[in-house]
Amino acid sequence: MRDLVTGALGLVLAAVYYLAADALPVSLLSDAVGAAGVPKALAIGLGLLSAMLILRAVAARPTFRGTGSAADPWPHLQALGVVGLGAAYAALAPYLGYPVAVAALIGVTALYFGMRPSPRLVLVALAGAALFWGLFVKILGVAMPEGLWPRLIG
Amino acid sequence: MSALSVAWNALTSNWSIPAAFFGVVWGIIGGALPGISPSIAMALLLPFTYGLDPVTAVVLLASVYVGAEYGGSIPAILIRTPGTNAAAATVLDGFEMNRQGRGGEALGISLVSGLVGGLFGLAVLVLLTEPLARLALAFTPPAYFALGILGLSVIAGLGGGSLIKGLMAGILGLMIATIGTDPVSGVPRFTFGTPDLLNGVAPILVMVGLFAVSELMVQVTEPAWNRTERGAVRLKLPDWLTWKRMFKPHAIGSVIGTVEGITPGAGGTIAAFLSYNEARRWSKHPEEFGRGSVEGVAAPECANNVVTGTALVPLLGLGIPGSNSAAILLGGLLIHGLTPGPMLFERNPEVAYGLYGGLFVANIAMLLVGLVILTPCLWLVNRPKPYLMAFVFALIVSGVYAIDQSFFDVGLVLAAGIVGYGMRWMGLPVLPRVLGVVLGFLVESNYRRSLVLSGGDHMVFLEDPVALILLLCAVGLLAVTLVRELQAARGKSRLAP
Repeated sequence: MRDLVTGALGLVLAAVYYLAADALPVSLLSDAVGAAGVPKALAIGLGLLSAMLILRAVAARPTFRGTGSAADPWPHLQALGVVGLGAAYAALAPYLGYPVAVAALIGVTALYFGMRPSPRLVLVALAGAALFWGLFVKILGVAMPEGLWPRLIG
Repeated sequence: MSALSVAWNALTSNWSIPAAFFGVVWGIIGGALPGISPSIAMALLLPFTYGLDPVTAVVLLASVYVGAEYGGSIPAILIRTPGTNAAAATVLDGFEMNRQGRGGEALGISLVSGLVGGLFGLAVLVLLTEPLARLALAFTPPAYFALGILGLSVIAGLGGGSLIKGLMAGILGLMIATIGTDPVSGVPRFTFGTPDLLNGVAPILVMVGLFAVSELMVQVTEPAWNRTERGAVRLKLPDWLTWKRMFKPHAIGSVIGTVEGITPGAGGTIAAFLSYNEARRWSKHPEEFGRGSVEGVAAPECANNVVTGTALVPLLGLGIPGSNSAAILLGGLLIHGLTPGPMLFERNPEVAYGLYGGLFVANIAMLLVGLVILTPCLWLVNRPKPYLMAFVFALIVSGVYAIDQSFFDVGLVLAAGIVGYGMRWMGLPVLPRVLGVVLGFLVESNYRRSLVLSGGDHMVFLEDPVALILLLCAVGLLAVTLVRELQAARGKSRLAP
């Protein structure tokens, strides 16, 4: 079943990628292969392989058994939640500033992974933020986002 | 003998030995942080070398390079996050060993393999710089294309039991590599009007997403935390039997690391992948690869560290920096008015031989520093799972942002994480995809450059002797892999009821 889904997704991706390659502008500086040449070849290759995978899956005739993990969407949604936390961090860090945002990320991620709220959790998040801030900003000199704090304070 | 005394005097008459230790520590920290590549770690120290004497400055930068190339393997083994591109091949068996409670053993293997590779690379650099530098000059665009194809031929063996899925994953990686400005005509491809994509997608972003973010996504669905036994949270250096098992992968890694290192632009990543694949091919226990194989850690780690020495061959022999890290080292030399190339040995022998001596000290320092820091690293990753995952996530987003100060990159990594999670569900192997991303630009740009130079004649790939040899090697590798796949498939069908 998974091979069928993989093959079908591969075919769709190959078709979309081919069309996108076909729509690429042709430059006057272009060589014989052109900007679209290699992408089109890759799309055809992916399409052929996807078709082979589908044929192989159909030929194998698997007996589909609905396992808990396949039927239950909860674990997948839970996994996507991790990405959601990262996206929230990326969206808020420019406003909150790096130290606050990374402390919040550490705390919320620990909660999301099952840690109970406690003063210790808050301490760990703050200590972690101080550690990362010291490492990236003070030692490595990376310009991390300052957030709105400089404007609010000064 | 006079060279040895020059090296000894150059090292002991200034701060070179402490600089080598400091450089290794700095490099390990930089290499262990995803987003801080070896070249970035070196570049961060470059301004501080102005005030140093030339030998100390060059030794410091070279030691950072040695430390960083090794440091990338630590998070690869402990938290499934390759700190550098070259450490991606170590993830597969290194992290699996850690998951089995053998993290200390994996780190020990990685450390001694790094040492063996580093010393071998140094020996090659000292003994063979002149003849190998000439070989580097023989690499033309067709040869680079063939080198990329040789690297891609590994994909056939990385399919994890399904050649079709391995090839599909490889093509997906090559597709990602086509994003950005077209290497010949300058046309933006698949950028959808986003300036952030004009430079393409950096391989490290794809790797961190595919390996690390997808691992976080999997871990959140697995509540049980298999605490490692107490004895396993200590660094374990290889015993005699393990050394015996590592001999072959070390030999493979040494040869491949030498060839890849002297080839400008190839670097440790291709060397690590090729070595991994060849170690599996020549192993008596190929079935252990991907399930915590000793050889699966030893081969890529050795090859990767051989490159730290051999990548300096074109720089010292010809004055050509073959990698970003070598370019930073070149900068360090130029700052002090030194011109790398054959004349460096005649005009400034103390710098050239001091660098050799410094690299030797750096490799020993890597071992000593590793012995000190690895057990605490193991202790750290055995903290409660929610805290560990939270810190890993913070490290990922911070490290990725640090590359270009771009939240777009953080978004790309998260997207790559979703793709990696989906690939795990579909059973698509990750390594071929990584290889495709790493090699895509090299293959396409040199393929098209070759055709431009030859007026569109594909015979150019067969007329260039280096390209022909490499292509024949690639065909040979593919043929052997296909034959083995067919034999395995026949064996399975015979066993089936």
